[in-house]
Amino acid sequence: MKIQVNEQPLALAENMTVEQLLVHLDKPLIGSAVAVNQEIISRSNWAEHIINEGDNISLFQAIAGG
Amino acid sequence: MLNDDELLRYSRHLLLDDVGEAGQQALKNAKVLIIGMGGLGSPASLYLAAAGIGHLVLSDFDKIEVSNLQRQITYQSDDIGEAKVEVTKRKLQQINPEIKVRSINKKMPEQQLTMELTMADLVLDCTDNMASRQMINKACVNAKVPLIVGAAIRLEGQLMFFDHSQADSSCYHCLFPNSEEQTLNCSNSGIIGPVVGTIGTLQALEAIKYFVGLPSGIKNKLKLFDGKTLDWQTFTINKDPQCSVCRKH
Repeated sequence: MKIQVNEQPLALAENMTVEQLLVHLDKPLIGSAVAVNQEIISRSNWAEHIINEGDNISLFQAIAGG
Repeated sequence: MLNDDELLRYSRHLLLDDVGEAGQQALKNAKVLIIGMGGLGSPASLYLAAAGIGHLVLSDFDKIEVSNLQRQITYQSDDIGEAKVEVTKRKLQQINPEIKVRSINKKMPEQQLTMELTMADLVLDCTDNMASRQMINKACVNAKVPLIVGAAIRLEGQLMFFDHSQADSSCYHCLFPNSEEQTLNCSNSGIIGPVVGTIGTLQALEAIKYFVGLPSGIKNKLKLFDGKTLDWQTFTINKDPQCSVCRKH
């Protein structure tokens, strides 16, 4: 299936969770935030939340600077 | 009641239907705690003092260094070595002698922060590290005090508003549950001044809107700012039912 990750197209296996996607993309699990279709998926839900065809995924890091 | 000097000083606010005399009085009655007097706290405190927020409490434990001057616009070269809160307090009083400014020149332990929150209507998180951000969030959740969070590095900014006076508000910990210092900060990643200044300025704008009674479009939302394209992204932060900080509230 096809999804978008940070506005780039990506082909992905069906029934992948948010957590599996992060591992697949080699992204750090600590300090990352994930939004699916502009809604933040809380960390406690990463292992359950299934990614669907056409989802628009945003991945970004916590920033602490100021 | 506003005095004659105030009517003149705030005349550009008073022209606005969205502020008016009632709004200006609300700003005068407001008590805001600003934690962190760096690149966010500089513009935020300058604008809130100028706008006539009646009671500002400033907290920081740093002294001014030469490397701060590239972005922390409250300070000038001959302030180097002085405490940030003391210099800021002096400058804010010069901008607006009508307001009260109090400084806390130390890293507040949780107990003192909790005590300060009993006297605050709103908090601006302008800090530069994850541990402080988590502590401030937790204390604001417990005290039910609204919190406007800003952060910036490189050419990226993040802005959030959690109205903890509302029981259904999400919190910073729902978004970023890890307090490990693996996050990016200005010392390890660099920052361009107007990027952090934009976020600090918008924290001040949201604070003013809050007190004059204008609705905020960013409650329980995260705004991401891209300084390269000037694009903004907006994400909804739902309350995490398993959040260890806000679930019991």
